[in-house]
Amino acid sequence: MASTQHVLLSPAELAYLHEALSLTPPIRPDGRAPMQFRPLVAETEILPGTNGSARICFADGTEAIVGVKAEVERTRGYHGDEQEEGGEEEEEGGEERREGEREGQGEWVELTVEIPGYRDDDAGTAFLAAMLSEALLADGRFAKKLWISRRFHWKLFLDILLISPPLSYPLPLLSLTTHLALLSTRLPRLKSEGDEDPFFDDDWAAAPYLYPQGTTTTRPPITLLVMAVGRNIIFDPSKEELAVADVVLAVSVGEAATNSASTKGKGKAIGGMDIDSAAAQPGRSLRLLSVRTVDPPSRVTPPGMPNATNSAYGVAVSVQKQPEARTVEAQAVEGVWKAPRGGAKPAVMAALVQKVLERGGVADEVLDALEAVELG
Amino acid sequence: MASLKRSVDSDPFAANISSKVYVRSTKSGKVQKIVREVYLRQDIPCSSKLCQSCLKATPRDAAGRPIPFVLSEAPAGTSVFTQGHYLVPDTNAFLSAMDLFEQSSAFYDVVVLQIVLEELRNRSLPLYNRLVGLTQSEDKRFYVFFNEFRLETHVAREAGESVNDRNDRAVRKAVAWYGEHLARTKAKKIPAVVMLSNDRDNLRKAKQEGIHACSLAEYVKQLKDGDRLLDMIPETQDRDVIKEKRPNELLYPEYFTMSKMMTGVKSGLLHQGTFNVSPYNYLEGSIRVPAFPKSLIVPGRENINRAVDGDLVVVEVLPRDQWKEPSTKVIEEDAITRNENPDAEGGGDDAVSEKERKALQEEVRRTHSKTTEGHAQPTARVVGVIKRNWRQYVGHIDQSSVSKSAQQGRKQDTVFVIPMDKKIPKIRLRTRQVAELLGKRILVTIDAWDRGSRHPVGHFIRSLGELETKAAETEALLLEYDVQYRPFPKTVLDCLPKEGHDWKVPESLDDLGWRDREDLRHLLICSIDPIGCQDIDDALHCRPLPNGNLEVGVHIADVSHFVKPNNAMDTEASIRGTTVYLVDKRIDMLPMLLGTDLCSLKPYVERYAFSVLWELTPDADIVSMRFTKSVIKSREAFSYEQAQLRVDDASQQDELTSSIRALMALSRKLKQKRMDAGALSLSSPEVKVQMESETSDPIDVKTKQHLDTMSLVEEFMLLANISVARKIYEAFPQTAILRRHGAPPKTNFDELANQLRVKRGFELSIESSRALADSLDTCVDPKEPFFNTLIRILATRCMMAAEYFCSGTQAYPEFRHYGLASEIYTHFTSPIRRYADLVAHRQLAAAIEYEAVGPGVRSRGRLEAVCKNINIRHRNAQMAGRASVAYYVGQALRGKTTEEDGFIMKILSNGFVVLVPRFGIDSLIRLRDLAEPEPEATFDAENYVLTMSGSKELRLELFQKVRVRVMDQKDETSGKRGAKMEFVKAY
Repeated sequence: MASTQHVLLSPAELAYLHEALSLTPPIRPDGRAPMQFRPLVAETEILPGTNGSARICFADGTEAIVGVKAEVERTRGYHGDEQEEGGEEEEEGGEERREGEREGQGEWVELTVEIPGYRDDDAGTAFLAAMLSEALLADGRFAKKLWISRRFHWKLFLDILLISPPLSYPLPLLSLTTHLALLSTRLPRLKSEGDEDPFFDDDWAAAPYLYPQGTTTTRPPITLLVMAVGRNIIFDPSKEELAVADVVLAVSVGEAATNSASTKGKGKAIGGMDIDSAAAQPGRSLRLLSVRTVDPPSRVTPPGMPNATNSAYGVAVSVQKQPEARTVEAQAVEGVWKAPRGGAKPAVMAALVQKVLERGGVADEVLDALEAVELG
Repeated sequence: MASLKRSVDSDPFAANISSKVYVRSTKSGKVQKIVREVYLRQDIPCSSKLCQSCLKATPRDAAGRPIPFVLSEAPAGTSVFTQGHYLVPDTNAFLSAMDLFEQSSAFYDVVVLQIVLEELRNRSLPLYNRLVGLTQSEDKRFYVFFNEFRLETHVAREAGESVNDRNDRAVRKAVAWYGEHLARTKAKKIPAVVMLSNDRDNLRKAKQEGIHACSLAEYVKQLKDGDRLLDMIPETQDRDVIKEKRPNELLYPEYFTMSKMMTGVKSGLLHQGTFNVSPYNYLEGSIRVPAFPKSLIVPGRENINRAVDGDLVVVEVLPRDQWKEPSTKVIEEDAITRNENPDAEGGGDDAVSEKERKALQEEVRRTHSKTTEGHAQPTARVVGVIKRNWRQYVGHIDQSSVSKSAQQGRKQDTVFVIPMDKKIPKIRLRTRQVAELLGKRILVTIDAWDRGSRHPVGHFIRSLGELETKAAETEALLLEYDVQYRPFPKTVLDCLPKEGHDWKVPESLDDLGWRDREDLRHLLICSIDPIGCQDIDDALHCRPLPNGNLEVGVHIADVSHFVKPNNAMDTEASIRGTTVYLVDKRIDMLPMLLGTDLCSLKPYVERYAFSVLWELTPDADIVSMRFTKSVIKSREAFSYEQAQLRVDDASQQDELTSSIRALMALSRKLKQKRMDAGALSLSSPEVKVQMESETSDPIDVKTKQHLDTMSLVEEFMLLANISVARKIYEAFPQTAILRRHGAPPKTNFDELANQLRVKRGFELSIESSRALADSLDTCVDPKEPFFNTLIRILATRCMMAAEYFCSGTQAYPEFRHYGLASEIYTHFTSPIRRYADLVAHRQLAAAIEYEAVGPGVRSRGRLEAVCKNINIRHRNAQMAGRASVAYYVGQALRGKTTEEDGFIMKILSNGFVVLVPRFGIDSLIRLRDLAEPEPEATFDAENYVLTMSGSKELRLELFQKVRVRVMDQKDETSGKRGAKMEFVKAY
């Protein structure tokens, strides 16, 4: 699946759109400010049979449901025959070692995405699923939450369903819905101790949240879609805007546990954006978890034809079409649509990422909004 | 965006819907969140005859009549609730004191809440069944109120509330609602609604909420015969009290948690199995676990750790230095703990008393003195109990544990009850009626066994009567072996033919009963059974055919014609499983009318039968066979003796006699064939008690005589069973009901083979039944004809038990019947007294397309359940029968002393077991009874020789013939009268 369905816009319309978005400040077709999100409606725990669930409707009519189910699974590679170590050693090193051993594995989370009208092994669907799970597992902290004992862990099944036709690229919608569903996810309370076979409290009301509430430090990541047209950075693009994007990035951010935590994620982060040095700034400190460039649909749009080469305007068509066509595309003609070519400029990329991570910026706003959604 | 959730505000029926959310952990380790929606209603009646409003709203049946209300309009009162009262017990009240509710003197008008009933089912299925029985009995007026579905009484679980607390709150809410609801009826006398609970917290909350509530003890005291009933209230174990105990007062180690045990069992570090106590040594148990070929020994009280015979326990193997040999010493509980004081809570400071320790030390010394360490067997200790298998136990009060003062007053006193079953430990019992109960057979149950008490604590259920009265002892036997002896309920009797004893085979051949039935009334059929047999299952005939062959027919009572699958009678029969024969009493599987009349193949009348007909050559080879439903008319019902006389009397030349002679000749050939195939001729000491005809008091004991006519009948029954087994297996390869007898594991014969080798130089080969049969034949002592029988008796005890099974559960080679050396076998020939035969009848009828294949024939799950039950019933019936014979042998010997010959069949370090063939009894003779003081003895376990010195010079060895004096003796501790043997001399 391309990042959106093919947009039926003429080259002239595309050129007009591109122009409008390149202005400073850009003029968006729906009149939004560049950083403004479309309004959304959300609710959680809509599926009683799941461990956690959520539903989000975007104003453009796209709607998604996410259900989270958990199952106890035996951890592979652990053989329970090791004898207990001596008592003293246990006392001393027990706590520390246990902490150290609480390591999660990526395969403990299984994520499936369903988009109506597409096969589940469609490349686009698979790419969406990969992006979502990548963001989730990027720091390893999430999988750690699924640790029960050395021999057992929770296996989490995330079923992500888009229930409307994919009017625009559904990544932000799915990501936000998954975020909410995970926030509302609860796992039965463990009653057994140590490495015994796990045994759980039968009271659902006593089941703790996967992401304990009240603490802002731990929340699931979100993935935002950002695009650039020229030097302008535009958030939450609609499908028409995507059709003329120069660069589209899917940026996953999570909340940094502490200030120093932002340096942890350096392996994944592109460019050094030590933005949280200003601790005095309002808002939360965010950390970048992953960045993916998304192939914008603008690349496959048909090019416009300058009047100079248009035979409809009485220009004689030369015999050698091919070389001519190439020269047509090579030259940018004012007011004639030309699909963007080549990669994004590093400076634009850096600006995009920086914008996302800005304190009190868009990501902050979105997280605040989601926080306001009542659980239950 | 419209919300997808059910909105509480907009839905007019929102109040009627509630949901229950909980976490369920399955056995396979899955953890699921379960959501159940509950639809609440207001038309569930309170079922009080006082209430008019519920009567209007109550659901009606198809005829438009309301379901009759249960609770009386004028319930009985107590000293406190004089206006009358309804009872609402909580789950624990039923769990701990079901016997109280079954009393006929009190406990009427009881509201059983749905939540209580459900919880009870999860906790104890037998108790649940008893409670359901109570709710069905009309005179007890027990009403099941579905409180969870009634809008007003539904209770949702609150945050942080445990299930138990929620259920308690639901009970209180239901009680409160009943109170308010009844108050609205404006009846003159409004009965009080009283909650019964033993939970202190629940009672306190009820008092706060202004609900009538009593503990069981408080309530019973308000009743008229409260004192008597008070004994039936179990020991209330106050958890707080136990906690307060200092840890050094706890006698037993704590059990592991359930999850720890399960983890251990799964990883193979702990083992799970059924705990068995050695019949000779109450301080030693054994447990068979799947991981090891031989049982593990559980030595000593501390290792046994409160396990009772039959419990499903988890054990841990002890380190190698604690392994030991199985005990060769008799240790009886009463001899060692005789002087214990039941009042003392913890007894001494330890679970193991000083005397018990001494007994154990000797064991250890003996084990250590052995040079060969290979004899030591692995030992284990109990670390937890998965499932208690406590039942009701028959016993009597230990005279010596009763204090003098208790025998007069009605003060509550603590005494010991000694169960009849020696494998069960003494039970501590608190009672106010010591004086009445002394010398009686009583039924008690174990309530608990906590870490602080050396003996389990129980409560009294009822008295069966004086010790040694026939009624009490018979009932005791039936209870001990779990035989259903209550009269058949009305629902069962309703299934009988309406004509009763006047039922006849219809005259008209067009009648439905004649459909597909062959008319065999012209055949000369007769039956041969023991004297006085009333339930005649089988009859035979034989006639020559023109081609020189013989036609032989076995005709079996057609019980399946009268007992249709799945009606009340069938269900009752499947639960009873078998008819139980005691010496003077028969507990029928089917009602008398069928068993002794309509089904019974009585002579001179026409009866329905299921016939197996063969064409046999004179050499008893089968030419052809067929099965058919038939109508027969037996010409004569012989006893074995009569038939034998007739056959032996050469002057009898009538057709019937000559056909019996022909059968006899064939049966000999059949038997020979069977023996050639390797069938075992085993032996068990069987005796018959002769009764005085009028008083039915036993007067003499005789060993059973074997007659040729017995093996005649036996051979043809075996032939019929084998033929039927083949047929039903062919028709239903997955679901045929068959009977198998597994080859005994080699280890079972280890000891016997070793004994024979050491003592007599015989080799016992056990590769096959054939080899075993042959080697048993060689074990002959020319001087002692009984020796061979003795060996056969011992060999029988090494065998596995035969069992019923469903053919789909085993592979064909496993079908083999070891003892009969037959590839396949079933029971077909006694449907009146065995349920398995009835099932085989139905299967055969379906196999010959006489009737449709019913679910009981083709459902493997159901058949497996049936097989499991009848295997247990069968074994219990056998044991009850034997116990009954043993009791009557004791009674017959009463006041007599005879000298008899006996054989030493087991030798221990401080005693030996002698079998007296004349009475079929074996008894232990302890060394300390031989002479005073107890003679010094050295026991050579490898050569099975016991040499005594000191006060008595004697050398005894295994299989030795001895002369003993047999007299009756009442065992003071177990209350049983049994034969006691005194050693006279060795031959």
